[in-house]
Amino acid sequence: MDTQSLILSLGDATHAGRTFNVMPVSGEDPVLQIVVSGAEETPVYLTVTETQVLCLVYLFEESEIRASALPELHESMLRISVPMPLSALGKVEDHYVVYGALSPSSSDFEVRQELVTLADNAIDLLQTFEDFLE
Amino acid sequence: MKAVLKKMLTAMRGSVNELGEAVVDSQGSRILEQELRDSEQELKQAKQELATLMAEAASLARQIGEESNAIERREQDARKALSAGEEDLAREVAERIVGHESRKAELSQAREGLQSRIVGLKERVQRAEKQLAEYRRELQVVKTNERVLRTTAQIDTNINSNQSSLSTARETLERIRERQAREEDRQNASAQLEKELTGADLDEKLKAAGIDGEKDAINDVLARLKGKTDS
Repeated sequence: MDTQSLILSLGDATHAGRTFNVMPVSGEDPVLQIVVSGAEETPVYLTVTETQVLCLVYLFEESEIRASALPELHESMLRISVPMPLSALGKVEDHYVVYGALSPSSSDFEVRQELVTLADNAIDLLQTFEDFLE
Repeated sequence: MKAVLKKMLTAMRGSVNELGEAVVDSQGSRILEQELRDSEQELKQAKQELATLMAEAASLARQIGEESNAIERREQDARKALSAGEEDLAREVAERIVGHESRKAELSQAREGLQSRIVGLKERVQRAEKQLAEYRRELQVVKTNERVLRTTAQIDTNINSNQSSLSTARETLERIRERQAREEDRQNASAQLEKELTGADLDEKLKAAGIDGEKDAINDVLARLKGKTDS
């Protein structure tokens, strides 16, 4: 699987009534920005490595969280991460993210499933953690 | 692996400079890749050596077998010579047997030495294979980490150049609420349209005005029944 073939296959695809708007993010590595219909506010970023297809959505920055609420937020994120379908919560530098990793041998269906689930999860998580924001 | 993870966590805590940019440690994976190549080389060598030693051991086993056969054959010869009363000839054969036996002993000793080297080498191969798997696992973690950092840096640069900046979570939530409200409006509108098409809205208005066809019919029936009992 590579990002080129994903641009082609996702452009015309639908999954459970959702469509995908794919745009390459210019730079050194192949990265795609994928906007899922019905969850346009939380674009999914996708990159393909030798060992996995990594999909992630930015939730918020550390600076957006009330400092006193950080420990409680972390506790909540750890607890909610396990039952959340196909996604896990994490942190890259100052970005809190929700992400999913797929095998590079995943089918198109599995990638679409992941993208839709991830974008929807991101919206639910933002609304869930709204009270922790500054 | 523990050491790699700890090093990575330390780097993560301290790797964001004043501008908030990631300092990607590209040395990390390069060193690991070198270690991986060294380990692969070591494994290859050990395997080659092992193959050579095992071939040598097989050859020694064959030679030992040949000496054993020769001893057996000569012993038969010696017995025949003795029963023929050829004492001198039997002695000559016995000398040969001694030669074969000492060669067999030498070969067996060499083979034992070889066997213990083979055992040691097999252990070395196993160790190298384990080490290799460990390096591969570590390398995967380090490389994925580097890729994630590069990817987010790429996204940030791109978003910053295309839009004014990354939208805050509050702004995103506002847009989500607006969309959800629009969707709700649309749903209400289509539900309203559905009612109008089926005439359900008119029934509701009639009901509100106290005109209810079903209720009237029930009352009519009750009135009729009452009338019958009365008469």
